[in-house]
This record gives sequence, C-alpha cells and structure tokens, in this order.
Amino acid sequence: MAADRVERSVGRTVRRIGIALLVLGGLAVWEALTGYYQLNAGEAAVILRLGRYERTEDREGPQLMLPFPIETRDVVHVGVSQRRDFGDVEATDAARLAETAMQTGDNNIVLVEFVVQYRVGNPFDRLYRVADSERLLAEASQAAMREVVGRYTIDGVIGERKGAVASEAAELLQELLDRYQAGIGVEAVELQEVQPPGPVREAFDDVLAASQDRNRAVNEAEGYANEVIPRARGEASERIAAAHGYRDAKIADATGEASRFLALAVEYQKAPAVTRRRLYLETMEVVLPEAQKVILEPGTALPYLPLPTGAAQGER
Amino acid sequence: MRRLALGIVFLVVLALGASGLGFGPIVLNPEGEQRIAFLLGDPVRVIQEPGLSLVPPFARIQVFDARWRQLSAEPREIPTLDQERIVIDYYVVWRIEDPLQFRRNFPTGLLEAEKQIDQQVRGQLREVVGQKQLMQVLKGERRAILEQIARESNAAVERFGVEVRDVRISRTELPRGTEENVYARMRAERNRLARKYRAEGEEQARVIRAEADRESQVIVAEARRDAEIERGKGDAEAARIYAEAYSTDAEFYAFVRGLEAYRKTLGKGTLLVLPPDHEFFRLFQSGGELPPVSAPGR
Repeated sequence: MAADRVERSVGRTVRRIGIALLVLGGLAVWEALTGYYQLNAGEAAVILRLGRYERTEDREGPQLMLPFPIETRDVVHVGVSQRRDFGDVEATDAARLAETAMQTGDNNIVLVEFVVQYRVGNPFDRLYRVADSERLLAEASQAAMREVVGRYTIDGVIGERKGAVASEAAELLQELLDRYQAGIGVEAVELQEVQPPGPVREAFDDVLAASQDRNRAVNEAEGYANEVIPRARGEASERIAAAHGYRDAKIADATGEASRFLALAVEYQKAPAVTRRRLYLETMEVVLPEAQKVILEPGTALPYLPLPTGAAQGER
Repeated sequence: MRRLALGIVFLVVLALGASGLGFGPIVLNPEGEQRIAFLLGDPVRVIQEPGLSLVPPFARIQVFDARWRQLSAEPREIPTLDQERIVIDYYVVWRIEDPLQFRRNFPTGLLEAEKQIDQQVRGQLREVVGQKQLMQVLKGERRAILEQIARESNAAVERFGVEVRDVRISRTELPRGTEENVYARMRAERNRLARKYRAEGEEQARVIRAEADRESQVIVAEARRDAEIERGKGDAEAARIYAEAYSTDAEFYAFVRGLEAYRKTLGKGTLLVLPPDHEFFRLFQSGGELPPVSAPGR
C-alpha cells in the first residue's frame, strides 16, 4: 500500500519535472525564434516592451531581447544617407513642370531642380510619431524651397545667391521636420539646376550675351588705347631725341666754327695785313674762275651787252 | 490535473485577449496608437498611453492612429485682396487628439475626417488670404499668414477631436493663362537689361577711346613743346658761342664772313662786270712794282 503511494508520488514528481522541462524547452525555442536577431551596420532596432518604448539598439551584431509578445522590435536604416530629387528643368509634361517652377521674390518664375540629402536621425519618431515620413519629407521640401526662393530675386537664385538659397532651405526644412517629429535629419540641400523658364530663356541668354558684348566693347577700346598711347609716346621720344640731336649738332657746329675762327684770329693778330691779303686773294681765286668776267671801264655805256647763255639761264 | 487545465485555459483566454483580436480583458496599446474600449455599444475606456491596460472582458476594441498624419489637398484657386487669383497647393499636418470625439464626428473614418479638415482649412485660407495682397502672401508675410491659418484651423477643428499642427503652402501658381503675362513681363525686363548693358559697353568704350586720344595728343604736344625748348636752347647756346668768339675781333669777323659770303654766292653763272682799276688788277697797273701792304683791307 505504502509502496503504491510512493510509486504514485514519484511518478507524479517525474511527470511534473517532465512537464517543466517541456515548458522550459518550449520557451527556449520561442525565444530563439522571436527574441534573437541580427543587426547589420547602419541599422537600429527600436524595442517596445509591452507596447511602451524601452530602448534603441544600434550596435552591430547579434542581439537578444525578450520574446514576443513581451518585447517587439522594428528595424530602421539610420546609417545610410538617402537622396530625394525634386524637379526637372527639361520637363515638358505639366505635372513635372509644376513641381519645378517656382515664384521668386521679384515676381518672376524660375525653374529649380534640387536634391535633399537626409538620414533617419530619430528612429523612434520616424516609426511612432509620424505616419509617412517620406511623403512628409517630399512635401515639406517643396514648401521650404519655395518659401526660400520667394525671398530672393531671380538673378539671385540663378546666380550668386544660390548657396544661400540652398542652406536656408535646408534650415527651414529641418525646422519643419522637427515640428512634425518626423525623426529625419537633413544633411544637405543642393540646387542642381536653376534655369529661367523655356519661353523666356532666349531673353535671359541675350542678357548674358549683352554682358559679354559690353566686356568686349570695353576690351576693344582698351586695346585701342594700348595701341595709341604707346605710339604717341614713341612719337614723343622721337621728337625729343631729334631736338636733342639738333641742339647738340648746333652747339657742336658753333663750337667748331668758333674755335676755327678764334684760331684764325690769333694768327691774324700776329700779322693782320698779310693775313687779310692772303684770305682776300684766296677767295678771289675760288670765286673768279667760275664766274663770267667782263672788264669794262665804268661810264662807257654799251647799247648792247652780249650776256653768256649760262648767265642768262641763271645757272649756279 | 483539472487545476492545470483551468490554468491553461485562463492563460489562453488572456493571451487571446492581449493579442489584439479585439476583445479584452488585457489590451496592449503600442506606441503610435490609441484605443477605445466599447461595452455593449458604449465607450467605457479611452487608452492613449502605451502599454498594457485592463478592460472589461469581451469589450470591443477600436484602434486609432495617434501619429501625425499628412493631408495633401487639391490645388485651389484663392483670390487675394488685390484681385489676383493664385492657385494654392497646400498640406496639413494633423492627428487624432481625442479619439472619442473623432469617432463621434467621423464614424466612417479617416477619409471623411480629411475632407472635413480640408474644408475648415480652406475656409481659413480664403478668409485670411482674401484680406491680403498677393505679394504679402507669397513673400512679405508668408510665415505669419500660414501660422495664423494653422492656428485658426486648429481652433476650428478642436471640436472634431483633432489637432492641426501645421498648414504649409507647398506650391503657388498663377492661374492658367496669366503665366503668359508673367513671361511677357520677364522678357521685357530682360530686354531692357540687355539694352542697358550694351549701351553701357558702348559708352565706356567711347570714353576710353576719347581719353586715349586726348592723352596721346597731350603727349605729342608736350613733346613738341619740349623739343622746341630744346632746339631753342641749342640755338641760344650756339648764338652765345658765336657771339662770344666773334666779338673778340668783330672787324676781323666781318672781313672773314664777308669773304665767305662771296665764296658762297658768287661763282659759276655769275656775271661780274669789273672796272680795270679794281684793286684785284693793281698788279697790272703797277707793272711789277711792289704795292703797299700795310694799308688796311678794303
């Protein structure tokens, strides 16, 4: 009787241990199935425990958490930058064009193609505070860019204020996304292409051409100046050099003649009459041979004087 | 054995309830959601906090989104104070704040809610934009206007159990047809600018050329002046040298210079009519007698 009772109690204990082991085994399998997972690089897992936010795991590698339904997880990409394009300046269909055309501060229309580079900054917000993060990003990007473009003139947006437009748009976009608790971090906004609309593109190009024409006219004029002025300077130098030459020559000639005269004068002083006579006769010797001579008594009038043909013609 | 079986059944019922099949007694409300528990058609519990809650068993659970949602409206033409009609494309960020109120107002759900919210916002938009001029809406007071619209829309939809977080213009356009006017104006403005640049270029070129001409004239004129001065110096110095030298014996100079003049002017082609008693012929007269030498030259 006692043996039977012992047997039954032992059997009961064995059964209980067996059931316990079964239950534990089942739990272990359940945990392996739902509580074990792998996190890759750039991934984050948001863990809810019984529906409430518990923690965010972002280390790479194998992870363990409490099994379903105690803990649940959602995995999000946080490491990778993502890009979103807006607009197409070459678009022809109405919808795409509408996305691209924007109004500027000076009441003009400009076509803007831009890119938003972003990543998930707050996985919890991204998952549980906002219903469709991507769609919100798209519309908020448009809103932000248009508001900022509206602050500038068309020349500013196309030209030198492009950088300011981009950075202000990024700032405004981040402000909006934060207000919406979208959990998105804006890394950069870039303006890829900014063009005037098709129907006025020619007029815009003409302004560029006109600017170039202006530069060219000025360059040509400066080229002219660079030619004319040096030429004038050259002429100036020539004239002055010639004048110097004239002056030097004049002085040299004068000096030469003066010293020649002075030397002669010295000799003259030593024997004036003789020198005078000599000089006189020398001169006559030069002059008289060439000239036509007629020796005639003054007072005798001749009705006709045969003049030599050479003298008549005035040869010298 | 029977206790064990009872225990298992109890756990299963609990689990089933918590699994969200929608009938209590344990309700798991995760982040981003909110629930109402109904018993026999009457709401008995509104759960907005995340976590586990207890409700009467076999209560019916209805789930609502607690997250921010986005409503993209159809673009609408809205007139401004200065009679400009702009097409505004906007979006509204909103969420269910009070699920009970929400359900009362929108029993059919989100679509109806969005329609109503849009209507309210549109009304605010018309009212506010209608009091402003076009440029104020687009640029000057854009932010303030949007904030006002959002604020007033929020107040208007509060009775729906809804919260409006933001109203933003994602696009404004001029109505079809007025674009051509804008393009014409843009073209005219660009043409004006092009003309201006070209005119500026011509003017600057003219100025540069004129200045260059002027300067080169000045350079040459100054050179001419300096050259003349220089020549003058040469002439003056030469004259001084001559005068200095010749004045040491002016008479002799006159003599020598006179002879030189004869040398230069008389000669070939000159006809000299000389009297026989000319001084040159005196040796003819004297017949060999030595003439007086000491007499001063004639």
